[in-house]
Amino acid sequence: MNVALTIALIIVLLSGAVVSSRAIRRGTIGDRAVAMDALTAFITCGLLIASAITGDSAFLDIALVLGLLAFLTSVAVARFIERRGL
Amino acid sequence: MSTFFDIVSAVLILTGAVVAFIAAIGVVRLRDARSAMHAASKPASLGVLLCGAGAVLQLDNVSSVSKLIVVVIIQLVTAPVGAHMLSHGVSSDVDSSDDTYN
Repeated sequence: MNVALTIALIIVLLSGAVVSSRAIRRGTIGDRAVAMDALTAFITCGLLIASAITGDSAFLDIALVLGLLAFLTSVAVARFIERRGL
Repeated sequence: MSTFFDIVSAVLILTGAVVAFIAAIGVVRLRDARSAMHAASKPASLGVLLCGAGAVLQLDNVSSVSKLIVVVIIQLVTAPVGAHMLSHGVSSDVDSSDDTYN
């Protein structure tokens, strides 16, 4: 049981690493903003899996704050791109 | 009964992890920012929903379960809105004479 959840956590961490490679490597600011948006979704997935493994509810607090901050960040970056014409 | 819940939860969480991995491959492989957003903004809803549905079967007290439900609802509400704002910002400069994306 714990083995399956650990494998799922490793898969999510691996996909986060793959996505952040795009955010580091290439593209315009829009590419990087899309990659960072996907990265926050993967981190939320990993936090939910970690709370399922350990049964600790502190991970859920982190996931709550991260979800709100990710929404605020993507809206701010989108407004910035739109206003500056990048 | 507990074993049944464990198996269902493991299947849900593994499905969410595989969805997240496919989305990561799509974000890296697709060229355009809007194409990458096509791959990226679906697991932001579906992967978090699957992982949360798997994790809610593992938790046992009421405060954790209600907190997790709030997390999933906030993600389901804000992920499409954030992706919409990002796509509007990204595509506003692509072709300003074309009003398809405006």
